[in-house]
Amino acid sequence: MGQSLSLRLFKSMMKEEWRLHQSLVGPLGSGLFPAMIFVFTAFLAVVTPLLLSRMPTATILLMLHAASLAYGLFVGNFGSIGEHVMTRRLGQVSMIMQMPQTYPVSFRRMMAVFYAKDAVFYLLYSYIPLTLGIAVAAPMAGASFTGVAMLGVTTLLAFMVGMGLSFTLSAVSVRSRPAGLALYVALAGVVAMIHPLGMIGPECLMPSLGYWASRDLQGIAAAAAASLLLASLGVALMKEKYEIRQSRYGDSLLSVDQLLGFMGGLSTLAAKEWIEVRRSGALGPVVFSFSGHLLAVYLMSWVFESGVGVNLGFNVVFYSGFVGFMGVMTYSFITNLEHNEYLNVQPVSVDQVVKGKLAVYFALTAGVTALYVVGLGVMKHQMGLVPLGLLLAAATSVYVVGVTSYLTGLWTNTMFFDAGIILRFCAAVVPPLIVAEIAALIIPMRPAATYAVVAVSIILLLVSVPILRGLERKWAEASFSFVNTGQ
Amino acid sequence: MPVIEASDVSKSFGATTVLQGVSLNVEEGEFFGLFGPNGAGKTTLLRVLTGQLMQDTGTVFTAGVPNTEPIRLKQRVGIVPEAETPPTFLTAQETLELTCMIRGLDGVQSRIERWVRFFDLEEKRDILCRDLSKGERQKVMLAAAFIHEPKLLLLDEPFINLDPIYQRRVREYLQGVASEGRTVFMCTHILEIAERLCDTIAVIHQGCIVEQGRLADISRGGDLEEVFLRAVEGGAVA
Repeated sequence: MGQSLSLRLFKSMMKEEWRLHQSLVGPLGSGLFPAMIFVFTAFLAVVTPLLLSRMPTATILLMLHAASLAYGLFVGNFGSIGEHVMTRRLGQVSMIMQMPQTYPVSFRRMMAVFYAKDAVFYLLYSYIPLTLGIAVAAPMAGASFTGVAMLGVTTLLAFMVGMGLSFTLSAVSVRSRPAGLALYVALAGVVAMIHPLGMIGPECLMPSLGYWASRDLQGIAAAAAASLLLASLGVALMKEKYEIRQSRYGDSLLSVDQLLGFMGGLSTLAAKEWIEVRRSGALGPVVFSFSGHLLAVYLMSWVFESGVGVNLGFNVVFYSGFVGFMGVMTYSFITNLEHNEYLNVQPVSVDQVVKGKLAVYFALTAGVTALYVVGLGVMKHQMGLVPLGLLLAAATSVYVVGVTSYLTGLWTNTMFFDAGIILRFCAAVVPPLIVAEIAALIIPMRPAATYAVVAVSIILLLVSVPILRGLERKWAEASFSFVNTGQ
Repeated sequence: MPVIEASDVSKSFGATTVLQGVSLNVEEGEFFGLFGPNGAGKTTLLRVLTGQLMQDTGTVFTAGVPNTEPIRLKQRVGIVPEAETPPTFLTAQETLELTCMIRGLDGVQSRIERWVRFFDLEEKRDILCRDLSKGERQKVMLAAAFIHEPKLLLLDEPFINLDPIYQRRVREYLQGVASEGRTVFMCTHILEIAERLCDTIAVIHQGCIVEQGRLADISRGGDLEEVFLRAVEGGAVA
């Protein structure tokens, strides 16, 4: 009976996930997402050998597995979902996950099923279309279909290890914040031992990568075992009971509103957002994840340079161009903190809340961005390029996050599963960033490229004005309800 | 003078028609009750009347404002939604502060003091809404709807989760509102309370208004339960 219940729950959760996506982005947008992944990967797989002919296969494999691990780390952070369910943070959304509150089913079983559902969902939605996309280009690159299939398996396993790690870390953090922090530090230590210390190989964190060195199945078996072990550990660490602590706060929204008075009409909603970020415990994770993503860009370029064995001369301005792109995940994080349904009955619109979130986003990331650009300037002895880097970082941050908020409003995480929205995002963001990054790269050879970076930055800032003003037109009439059935 | 004018309103969600040609007038100073079985369209109608949802056809004016201008409309009315979902990370006090600031009210502290006392929330005011009981959360939602003393209140099951003491307190407050010439529009299943409060009613069934008028005229000496059952089971069209 136990097994059949889990299976039934699994099937119901898969249906729920699909219908949730459909209700938000429509059946066409949902259905086209894997098709878009397929086309995009096939295109990249065709052009990559032409662009990266000098890059060793081992480096390409390392980058693919590191990206999969990072993707898993990003999506697996749902160990705290139990706390959200049990402490009523999901608004009116009613999900199967909430059943343990009233039905004789344990929360651990529910989380195990939820984990399996998410893994299968990502397999179907991302990894199968991704592998099929690479398979299209396999004959041209001289790779066999078996090799491509194995690449699909090993990158999926890297993703699963990342997801398991993230899940376990978040489950530990719910039980004890200091223990969770210690584990995050330990993970950072393992990463540091791989690079820059070089004390251990990347296979220690991504065992499936080992398959490509020896072609034996040991690495694959180790990765499968590690992902299963981590998932089981995360499930075992789930709490069955969440005590509702009565958290008291003596400070007042009015005082924060007064402090933010310089924001004018935005001050009240920005104050609300700031309080939510602080009290939800998201302040640290938001700042650290933004910093982590920026450092990851630097790390990936190191992998690239060390793999090719050639110094590509990525300068401060080049790295600054990635700030906006990394900001998308930070903005998405901020939009996930609160349901906001209570605002449906107040004279306030979705676009006003989006603007409040943008104000908090810029407040949280401006300092980190400045430190990042100045820090790189010091490390690379390129202080002369820092002002230009700061200008490009500010411009990309305002523009890319502005486009994100315009396209996705308060539901970034889910809306990005709509193929139409992700295509529009790419069309708006990728071309100007490519121009800015190419210009940044050629500055040492042609100093006049500085003017191109300045021009792109100014154009992005100018274009951001109508985009941010357009938030009102786009979102003024939207409902705050996550799923608006109207019933 | 009507404060709510809905004319030939229809609304569908996909293939499901929830409201079909609903026309409704509520006069100023009335205590109006909307009744209907589960899934009849009460909440959808209330959401359309308050600009939370747009109808497919028909026109709606609430407090003199078309529902196509939801911000201006919500500024003029007080709304209690179906579910008690105050903000997760704000305290009860801060939720009321936020409401006052969004509405641009003056005398914020005195308004909050009044409603905190009314609902006996003095000891709970600095607790996060997430950590309040359902009844306490409902009190916060009611206080947030009443705090600007609007001329029109639209309430969806306002007595839900309230114990008899606060049901009575809210009932008396709403009677006072109506006696001052302000208007109350209420959806509820608690027919006994509605019978004591409402002077005009409508019964909605399968998305259509099947009975509408003054309670005294409609009940013909019977009680509200009989009116309700007759309208729903008989399917009489007003």
